[in-house]
Amino acid sequence: MTDDTMNPDGTTTHFGFKTVDEREKAGLVHGVFTNVASKYDIMNDVMSVGIHRIWKDAMMDWLTPRDGQHLLDVAGGTGDIAFRFLERAPMAQCTVLDMTESMLLEGQKRAEAQRQSDKLDWIVGDAMVLPFEDNTFDRYTISFGIRNVTRIPDALSEAYRVLKPGGRLMVLEFSQLPNQGMQKLYDLYSFNVIPRMGQLIANDRDSYQYLVESIRKFPDQDTFANMIRDAGFSQVKYRNLSFGIAALHSGWKI
Amino acid sequence: MRDTEPNDQGQKADTPLDRRMLEALVCPLTHATLSYDAERNELVSKAAHLAYPIRGGIPIMLEEEARKLD
Repeated sequence: MTDDTMNPDGTTTHFGFKTVDEREKAGLVHGVFTNVASKYDIMNDVMSVGIHRIWKDAMMDWLTPRDGQHLLDVAGGTGDIAFRFLERAPMAQCTVLDMTESMLLEGQKRAEAQRQSDKLDWIVGDAMVLPFEDNTFDRYTISFGIRNVTRIPDALSEAYRVLKPGGRLMVLEFSQLPNQGMQKLYDLYSFNVIPRMGQLIANDRDSYQYLVESIRKFPDQDTFANMIRDAGFSQVKYRNLSFGIAALHSGWKI
Repeated sequence: MRDTEPNDQGQKADTPLDRRMLEALVCPLTHATLSYDAERNELVSKAAHLAYPIRGGIPIMLEEEARKLD
């Protein structure tokens, strides 16, 4: 990790391996997701050889959705997490928030096709300034989204604010492998294979190059757990998925 | 719960927001309540002097997308 992340005047941040002005990052990330929106679900399948589905199911296993709960899924894109939540708790209510309108439009279409529109709300918004009152939601999820947020502590504080007391945060994100050898192998794969696949399938190498770089920059499991504690959450725990290629972090607002 | 019928045909660009959604939203900058301008199909934050657009039934709660009010 370079000093740029912790720049005390807070004016720069990372866009993959590039250091950019903080004000630019949202726009750059927005560009990435606007570019990949229509093929995003397919790309996720191809890139992770379908493993992201297993990870998301593991997320649901730990989250245990219940009828009557109100979920806020941030960076929810096309609604992947929300639809899984509703599969397990058909009488739940889900609000999907994302910066990228075109992703939500894809999700909205899917909701209409599945006749689930009445259980889902779609809102364009920013994880760092959520358009909801305090103590609104029972569950907050963010899946492969937190590393794209410009100021991660701000997003975690907002998660804490909008959760009801007794509410729970769960984060699914790429993480770090526990040993150097495995990390090297994984880096070889991700830096060489994924951008090429992005080129082949979505005709967009740069966006996938960014995705890979941003994964490598994200803090390791324990560092991120401490960030969650710093936002006020209790009983913060994590579980590694596929040896730590990804991790689930859980915290409660007591 | 809802005062509008579920719409299987998909929402039109000018679909008004249902009331439940309006009640759940606040201004992201001030946390003040919003009022719904049905004519312009916007969510108005008097405190922030901003009007957030609604497109295709999706409220766009971003400062940079909002219309500034005098």
